[in-house]
Amino acid sequence: MPIGRVVATERRPNTPHEFHFWTALDAPVGIGTIVRVEGPPTSDGRLATIYGVVVEGFSYTDLQTPLHDVIGADGDPAAALRAPTDRTEIRLYTANALRHIPDEPLQPVPMGTVHLATEDDIAVALRMDGYLREGQHTGIPIGVYRSGTMQAPIYLDADFLLGPEAAHLNISGVSGLATKTSAVEWLLSSIFAHFPAQKGTVAAVCFNVKGPDLCFLDQPSEKLDDADRALYEAAGVPAEPFQHVEYFAPWTARGHALATLRTNAALSHNVHPLSWGLREVLQYAEVLLNKDDVDAKADALIDFIRERVVNQEFSDPILPRAHTVRSFSDLEQWFRDVLRGMESRNAETWRTHHVATIRKVRNRLTNISTRCRGLVTDDGTSNDLPFGAFTDRAVYVIDVASSEEDAQDLIFARVVSQLREQLERRTLGVDHVVVFVDELNKYAPSDGPDTYVRQMLLDIAERGRYLGLVLFAAQQFRSQVHRRVVGNCGTALFGRMDMDELATPGYATLAPATRIKLSTLDKGQLMVRHPHFAQPVFVRFPRPAVLGGREGVERFPAEPEPSLEVSVTRTLRSLDPSVTLEWVKQATVAAPEDDVLRARNRTLQARPEDVKAYFRAQFRSRAAGESVDARPATLPLAGGGGDDPYGF
Amino acid sequence: MRDALRAVRHAGAAVSAGEPLLELRPAAPEPPRLQRAEPLEGDAVRVHRVPGEPAVGIAAFLDGIQESRVIAHWAGGIPLVHGTVAAAVRRRQERTLVTWRPDGVRLERSLFVPRAAIGDAAWRALEAGCPVRDTLAADEGGPWHPQELTARALSAVQRRREAVETACAELWCAEGDGPLFVDGGIAAAGTAAHSARAIGVVKSHRTLYVDGDALPVVLGLAAGERTTAFTVTSPRRAPVASWYLRLREPEARDALWGLVRVEVAFEGATAERADLVSRWLLAERSPVSLPDPRWGAMAYGVRLTEEYLRAVTR
Repeated sequence: MPIGRVVATERRPNTPHEFHFWTALDAPVGIGTIVRVEGPPTSDGRLATIYGVVVEGFSYTDLQTPLHDVIGADGDPAAALRAPTDRTEIRLYTANALRHIPDEPLQPVPMGTVHLATEDDIAVALRMDGYLREGQHTGIPIGVYRSGTMQAPIYLDADFLLGPEAAHLNISGVSGLATKTSAVEWLLSSIFAHFPAQKGTVAAVCFNVKGPDLCFLDQPSEKLDDADRALYEAAGVPAEPFQHVEYFAPWTARGHALATLRTNAALSHNVHPLSWGLREVLQYAEVLLNKDDVDAKADALIDFIRERVVNQEFSDPILPRAHTVRSFSDLEQWFRDVLRGMESRNAETWRTHHVATIRKVRNRLTNISTRCRGLVTDDGTSNDLPFGAFTDRAVYVIDVASSEEDAQDLIFARVVSQLREQLERRTLGVDHVVVFVDELNKYAPSDGPDTYVRQMLLDIAERGRYLGLVLFAAQQFRSQVHRRVVGNCGTALFGRMDMDELATPGYATLAPATRIKLSTLDKGQLMVRHPHFAQPVFVRFPRPAVLGGREGVERFPAEPEPSLEVSVTRTLRSLDPSVTLEWVKQATVAAPEDDVLRARNRTLQARPEDVKAYFRAQFRSRAAGESVDARPATLPLAGGGGDDPYGF
Repeated sequence: MRDALRAVRHAGAAVSAGEPLLELRPAAPEPPRLQRAEPLEGDAVRVHRVPGEPAVGIAAFLDGIQESRVIAHWAGGIPLVHGTVAAAVRRRQERTLVTWRPDGVRLERSLFVPRAAIGDAAWRALEAGCPVRDTLAADEGGPWHPQELTARALSAVQRRREAVETACAELWCAEGDGPLFVDGGIAAAGTAAHSARAIGVVKSHRTLYVDGDALPVVLGLAAGERTTAFTVTSPRRAPVASWYLRLREPEARDALWGLVRVEVAFEGATAERADLVSRWLLAERSPVSLPDPRWGAMAYGVRLTEEYLRAVTR
């Protein structure tokens, strides 16, 4: 049964891309409704079918001026309600064409009958029929399109979401309305459920940038209702939390606990420290240095240190001894000796590097361990993501919410660089990685200085799809994100938007009614742009099946930062359950706090078979009378020395 | 219209271009007049305040339209007029007007031609291409003034319009349910003139059915007042009961503004019925029919029916 008729006037004609139709007053049509127009037969006898999405609606009566209504009601609004006849009213809609069949010749939409699109129509209208074919199904459900009682799953094309044809996803929406984070959690579930096996493996790396947002992805939601479950069922996605989630967070400044809200003992089994030593940090020193710091001269010295000094024995006539720089402490000692040597020789340059440059680089590099305390270790120990052993359908959450801005930048730059390098070499463990970054406007702003992180995001956006490195990014204000980053996102999602944001030029292509609908979207509604969709469409998605951040911290409250001994006990117990607090107290008695933390970190990094012996060995080495300067260089890493793996 | 143009071209007539509607041409005005009518309530025309509140009682509206224009001239300046007439009953359903039923809408398009003036051969040629109606009586002979032939065609179109209106009115009165608001009089509406379902509402007052003494009573009616009911008779029409009803105060306007003359079947016409029908008509004052210039006396239902007919005839 038709629900409307296409109309056109000279003042408001139809075009191949836009048409108008009227409906009965009670027709279930609104902004975002997808319709099918059945036109007259074409010249070759085929019926012309046009699919469109409603973008604007008008309603008016035959009233020429509101004054006429006042006159008719004698100025009494209640009297107008008593009128025996309602004024004739029209519901006139404007729709943007989604698809013409046949597609050639592309002609203005004819005066045909308008029907509500069926589920099959939706697939054709959005060109989903091309990637939902049996045996070549690459559809990833993004939500459900609803019209009256009909609901149809809407699929994104995996080839255009995760590469290689197009890739990346950008999501915009005001904060606090369960749009951005929820939508990404839902979409990741959907990807994990539907990513076709023939396309390889996929994992996700999520940066938790605020509060406990992503801290409970492995815990079930308590809020799912029947409507949510129906949406999961319609989309064929299990309403379950993620099965394999690993958490990473830097240490706090004191180093007794990890800087995350997921510190509840019940959830500690998959929370790991993220800490890097000099070697890891120096590769990305540019991230922490601004343009003024990294002039050509400073850059040359940093390169020299990276290439000639770090992790190798370095000797020079001005140095009193050979140095092997493995940690920030070593580096500081090396700088000190170099500068002393120059002073003793009254030299202004050393190996072409001016003393002022050396002092500046020393200052900038050695204070990294202070600026990024908790992430960067003085002693060179490192705990990292399992690069090379990524698991299919796993989520790796890096909690940087409590980290300083410098540390956040460093973490982001290094993790993404590692992902890119390993994907290039095909050694990561999976074929595709989704990197989720919230607050993209902070990392890739449309204005401001050109930072290393922004360059990196641009690089991912422009070249990541060939590697399988896919950026899922969210922000409140899309207009404040670099154009090339959002421009390269093949898919865009929009939750409820701020009206000021919608007034920016980036939204000028949307009809006024569509913009207003965007500003009033309910929770769980999205507008979706995708390369296959000629026009944006509105969908609903269910609440995530994972425990929300706010509920999570209530159910699993974060624990206060423990004492040193308790912290060490907990850490070692994750490697050896027989470790007790008493044992730790005895083992660390009289040891300085820094030494205890160092021993803990080294044990954690080495993951030895005999945890207690290895841990104790760290103090014996110290007691053997090593100087502070030589300490890290002489401490063997696990498995690094001869027959005695523990350095006895 | 296309069929008619094709037919006249085929018959060899000279097709006219852009002729205005005949209905818009200035016509010789019918002189206004007073005509005494016999009162049905008492022996003189008096003012009656319609008792009670306006009430919704009308179930449907009937209106008709016509459009005619000269589309060609036959040799000798004989006008060939294309006329469209239509009438419809629009039923009120949940405060909205809808088409009552398919045969409640009548639409005719014809060529109105003086057969005696163009000859039988031309008539047959035209008839082969489209419906043709004769504008002259069978025994009439020429010569004719071309403008008279045009006037005859216009009259013929008007008769057809009245005919389709009558057909619709009779159908409703036979098979419809509830009072029918007829735009215009019902005295010439065949069997409908005798039906209690038909209520004619006349907006034009070239003839006022009062004598000189009663004229101030009619002109002085206030909104919500009616005159005494009286009988309107005519040699070729059915007698009907009628009364004047003021729908709206004329204020600074013409004294006839907002005034209608109501016609109902003579049979069963009582003072109570006049009051009841008047209450129904007073209820139809809202919504107003603006921007139609006749809005003071025109019911919105009639305006909607007219708009409907315009939509289906164009």
